[in-house]
Amino acid sequence: MREQPSPVRAAIDIGSNTIHIVIARCSPHNLEILEDQVDLVRIGESVTATGEISQQKCDAAIAVLTRYKALAEQYAANPIFVVATEAIRQATNSASFLARVQHETGLTVQLISGIAEATLTFYGATYEVSSGPNPPAQIGVMDLGGGSLELVTAKNMHITWRTSIPIGSGWLHDRYLASNPPTYDELAVAESFLQTYFQGVRIKRRPPVLIVTGGSANSLLYLVHHAFKLEVHQSQLTQRDLIRCQGLLSSLTAEEVSERFQQPLERARILLAGALIIETVMSYLHLNEIHISPHGIREGVLLAYERYGENWLEIVSQSAAFPNDELHADVKPAVSNVKAEEPFAHSGRHMLQERTKKFLEWPKEVLKHEDVEAVHKMRVASRRLRATLDAYESCCDPKIFKKVYRQVKRIADALGAARDADVMLLNLQGQLEHVKSEEQAGMQWITARLEIFRQQKQKQLETILLALDEDKLEKQVESCIPERVASHGKS
Amino acid sequence: MAKAKPITGLDPQAPTGKNARIIAKVRLEELYSWDAYVDNPYYIQELHNLRIAAKRLRYTLEVFEDVLPEACKPIVKELEQIQEELGALHDSDVMIALLRLCLGGQDSPIPEQLHSDVKTQREKGKSLVAPELVAVVLDPAVAPSAGERYGLEQFLQRQEQLREKQYTSFRQHWYTLQARDFRREILDILDT
Repeated sequence: MREQPSPVRAAIDIGSNTIHIVIARCSPHNLEILEDQVDLVRIGESVTATGEISQQKCDAAIAVLTRYKALAEQYAANPIFVVATEAIRQATNSASFLARVQHETGLTVQLISGIAEATLTFYGATYEVSSGPNPPAQIGVMDLGGGSLELVTAKNMHITWRTSIPIGSGWLHDRYLASNPPTYDELAVAESFLQTYFQGVRIKRRPPVLIVTGGSANSLLYLVHHAFKLEVHQSQLTQRDLIRCQGLLSSLTAEEVSERFQQPLERARILLAGALIIETVMSYLHLNEIHISPHGIREGVLLAYERYGENWLEIVSQSAAFPNDELHADVKPAVSNVKAEEPFAHSGRHMLQERTKKFLEWPKEVLKHEDVEAVHKMRVASRRLRATLDAYESCCDPKIFKKVYRQVKRIADALGAARDADVMLLNLQGQLEHVKSEEQAGMQWITARLEIFRQQKQKQLETILLALDEDKLEKQVESCIPERVASHGKS
Repeated sequence: MAKAKPITGLDPQAPTGKNARIIAKVRLEELYSWDAYVDNPYYIQELHNLRIAAKRLRYTLEVFEDVLPEACKPIVKELEQIQEELGALHDSDVMIALLRLCLGGQDSPIPEQLHSDVKTQREKGKSLVAPELVAVVLDPAVAPSAGERYGLEQFLQRQEQLREKQYTSFRQHWYTLQARDFRREILDILDT
């Protein structure tokens, strides 16, 4: 019996820099790419400048999508998936943009979350490696887009951690590197911004292997092949290659880069920003080498559909699939399910209770002293609880409010002091290996002093948390907004 | 730290969405009340207050996420970034103050006096360094050696340069937001 040929499907992604289509014969673990085209539209440029997608960018995007739809139909691709990422997520007029695309092209665009974006990119960037003879046990994937950067780590090809960072090559260029070529001062400010930002990103385990995908990464590989005569079959870039790229790109205008290295002008403009971001991430992850992949989110969409069927996006987005999601556990606020029309005092009662419950999830974790991030997470929970208390103060019984507020503030202050000591130490540790030995001597001296201070603060925090009567606090919060206020509005 | 502005004019029986908008607008005004200090790199306390105000607005938008327009989400991201930038600046300010204390304090014949001065200033909200930390670094039993002092001076110099870059980076971001009339943008979203 003859085997049925695999179905042909198409996936388009609307990113901050590009709109990109892949048409492929698909199976759950493999793709035969039939067509791969990209257009640089730079929707993100107008979003960074004004907060919305301009008419001009909207027209350009619709023209590209119309052409891609015709291309997919030539291959009888079905379905044609369209996903949109960071620039569209950020745009204040994203709803009207998506409606216009639907109306004028008949294509339905799925506006996906940063987390779904990271997962799909992981599928796309690793499908070749994972089906190879020796897939690495620990691996990371970074997708550098125009408006954001998605970073995923995995163990035995199962995602263990992921994050979406709102920094992309187009965004960094528009915000910090506007001159052509960028000035020394602009470069210094952009570098400082990146270093500062990444100091705040916490990753538990640094992957020994990193695959980087996205237009800028692939263009930088092309540039290295042609400018520095790297073997064309090589897909690795070293930190030295990137530093050489930065030297080259900061001394040529975008027009010169475009002409010499056959890059679209819009891509040439943002390449230096891409090189800076990749190099910062490499330093952050202590990597000297990365692998560049031409595959990404589009291939991920096609594979996810083959694996999970019609509910692919739902399944990919389900947080339950990622038991070790550490970073976003504290970043994502709790779902409170408050309705806009619900009376204020009524919503206050359950919002306060819910925030208190979230806050009280952390003392045990903090007291274990296993993870410094627990202090940070409890501090974030305390801020959300205080923001809620501040908002509902006028509905609360003043005496009970004062008691609750004072107690939460006291804990928050202790958490703040402990966290500040942690941050100072983490910053020192992060810098130590990059400075000269004579400076290291001074830094080690201050580190030793800070360790003593940290221990004092941890002890104080421990004393406060051990004395915390959780049930009592919960009861006080429950009675903070009296029933009569919630039902009759008498405060 | 500046206290949160109390919210007036809330009706306990009014829809949560309506009151959430009132609260967010008060927090927005609080944020812009520190706007005048953005061009003053060494108004350390005021820039710190700006950060706290950004944080309060951010948390208000997050806490009332369900009842505010979807368009608040990108606003939260911008606020988070301001908070990060000003947070890094504040961390540098604390480290610089600490290093200056270490270097100056060790030369001082009476570290006890310095410790007590810091304590008084801290109570008035003027000192960046916690008195307990001052006591730990000024402990004469563990004074830095000549080599360690030299290292501390190098570190201080580098930290000051970093601080300058961090401030420029933050200011540039703030002005990008000003150029697109960020305040108006938020007000328009809250009025929908």
